[in-house]
Order: sequence, then C-alpha cells, then structure tokens
Amino acid sequence: MTNTPPMTVKRLPEPCDNASCRLFLRDIKGFVDNSHRPRLIVDLSAVEQISPESIDLLLECVGHVEHGDGEVSVAGASPKTSVILEITQAASVLNAFPSVLEAANGCQLRDFESWKPGYPGDRAA
Amino acid sequence: MVEWAKEGVEQVLLVVLGSYAEIDLLDLIRFHSEGQRQVTKVFDQQGPLGISLLDRGCILVNREQVSQNGDLPSARYDFLGYVVRLSSSSNYRRLVEDALEGRCGIQPSGSQTRKSVWIDETAQVDASAQIQAPCYIGPATKIKAGVVIRGCSSVERNCEIDLGTSLDHTSIQPNTYIAPGLCFRESVVDGTKLEHLARGVTVDLGTAGLCARIGTQARHAHRSPKLARVSELARPDAEAG
Repeated sequence: MTNTPPMTVKRLPEPCDNASCRLFLRDIKGFVDNSHRPRLIVDLSAVEQISPESIDLLLECVGHVEHGDGEVSVAGASPKTSVILEITQAASVLNAFPSVLEAANGCQLRDFESWKPGYPGDRAA
Repeated sequence: MVEWAKEGVEQVLLVVLGSYAEIDLLDLIRFHSEGQRQVTKVFDQQGPLGISLLDRGCILVNREQVSQNGDLPSARYDFLGYVVRLSSSSNYRRLVEDALEGRCGIQPSGSQTRKSVWIDETAQVDASAQIQAPCYIGPATKIKAGVVIRGCSSVERNCEIDLGTSLDHTSIQPNTYIAPGLCFRESVVDGTKLEHLARGVTVDLGTAGLCARIGTQARHAHRSPKLARVSELARPDAEAG
C-alpha cells in the first residue's frame, strides 16, 4: 500500500472579498488540521491577472499549510499572473505548474483517483 | 526645411528618430560632397536608418515634379559601425547594457563613484543599498534602504525605488515609483507599465499599487503589508515559477 499525502484542489474565491476569503481560509485550515503533510493546489487558470488581495490570500494559505509541513502549488497561472507572482516574490514560496494535472503529478500523488472530497468545493485533479 | 533652404541653408541632415547610430557625420558629409546626388541616405546591414543628408537644391525643387517622379535619386552611405534600432524594449536594454559595459560611445551622465557605477550628484542613495557595477542612477532619483541594484540596471531621473526592492538586468524609466519588497529581472518599467523581456509579457501594475507614475495619487495606494511576509516564508530551495 502506498502512503500518499492528502491533496486538495481549490480555485481562488471570486470576488476576493473579506467574507469569501474567510470562508476559503476556514476550508484550508480544516483541510490542514486533518491532514499530514497536506498538498494544496490552487487552480489559477480562470484568473487573468491576480490581484494583491488574492496574493495575500495565497500567502495566508502558505502559512497554514507549512504549519502542517505541507506544500502549496499554483497551477495554470496566466503569463500576467506569473509575472506578478515573480515580482512580488510570491513565486519563491509556491510551486508553480502549467496545469492542475501536472501539479498533481508534481506532488507525487500516485493514486489520486482514489481521493475523496472532504470539503465543499474540493475536486479531484 | 523649405524655409531654411530659402534662407540659404546649404545642407540639411534629416534624422528620423528610431535608432541609435554612432555615425561619423564629417565622413558622411565628405562622402556626400564627393558624390553626384543631391540626397545621401544612410544604410546599415538591415536597411535604411532614417538618416539622410539633403542638398538645398533638392529641398527647393518643384514639389509637383517630385510627386510625379517619386523620390529623388539618392546615394547610399553604408555604415558599418555601432547601431541599435530602438524599436523594442529588448533593443533599448541592449543599448543600456552596451553603454554601461563600454561597448558603445554613450557616456552615462553623473559622476562615476566607482568603476562602472554612475550616480548623479542629485540622486539620494541610502547607505544600506547594494549597488553592483555596472549601473546608472539618474538625477533626483531616490534609492531607499535595502534596495539591491545589479546586472547592468539603470534607474532614470526622478524615480523612487522603495525599501528592499531588487533590480536585476532592469531599466526603470523616468518618473516611476516602485513599491517596497519587489523583485524585478530582465524588465523595463515605465510608470505603471512593466514589460518582462524574458517572458515577453506586458503587465499594468498600477491597479495592484506595485508601481506608479510619480506625481499621481495612485502611489502607495494598494500595496499590501502582507506581501512583506514572503521573505519570511521564502525557502532557500524553492524554485521560482
């Protein structure tokens, strides 16, 4: 039997207001608290240009996930978003992948098909 | 030009801006004088450079006659020296790097505080800033604490680079404010517009409050204090996306 780290894929809330950010972070905390070395993949494929509020939210996620000895990846970032992640140095604390599937593979998830959603909004890669 | 010619100007040097070329103008005039044409156009290996030397006679020629016959016959002056066409930001960066590396005739203004570091006397550079040669810092520009400038970077006049930001192979155009804690590489920034040369992407950073045109109210508007946490979280082994 292979021990695979738990993984969840999330999209950033849109719009990124206080209420939706709190809800998003509550989900992330719940996921982290119930996981060992959790892997969070944030799907940015629907984001044309990431906002400062969304970067803040990503960094909050990094803080929570790293407390659980896990990793945060971003997937499908547009060229503009990639540039902003680079110049704000957020890219230095995130693993970036072209797509969610590659992020999942990059997380060395072997049997993600058997993964079951545990939180609202979760979806398999 | 017609007025000048009527007033007695014998020759006109016409330079259409768009390229930097280190032409020996005396040699061009000599070449033109030795030829039989009233117009001499300068070419390099890629084609015309938009530089022409015109005789008074061809300027005063009957315009209707010119329009019927097309362009006047011209001599071709082939230039083999240093040329950069300023048609893209990449070419502009090439010119900046060549100037700072001494590969062309441009001499940066300001005093050379040490080898290949030019800082204008009116610039304010914090003592904690790391300035690595070669680089250029223009008049009335402020470089705040903890800023790192390296890799043939240039900061033109009346700019402000805020705390801890780093510039690597980057040019900042005049009157530009850069927010704290950012990291630019292989880019040209003009006001709120960033052109990332390595990625081939242009981004407007104004709405994010990361850059601003100095003199506008947007400065400092949206910069998030949470972004400063990145340096605390940064892992040495992490790879940038």
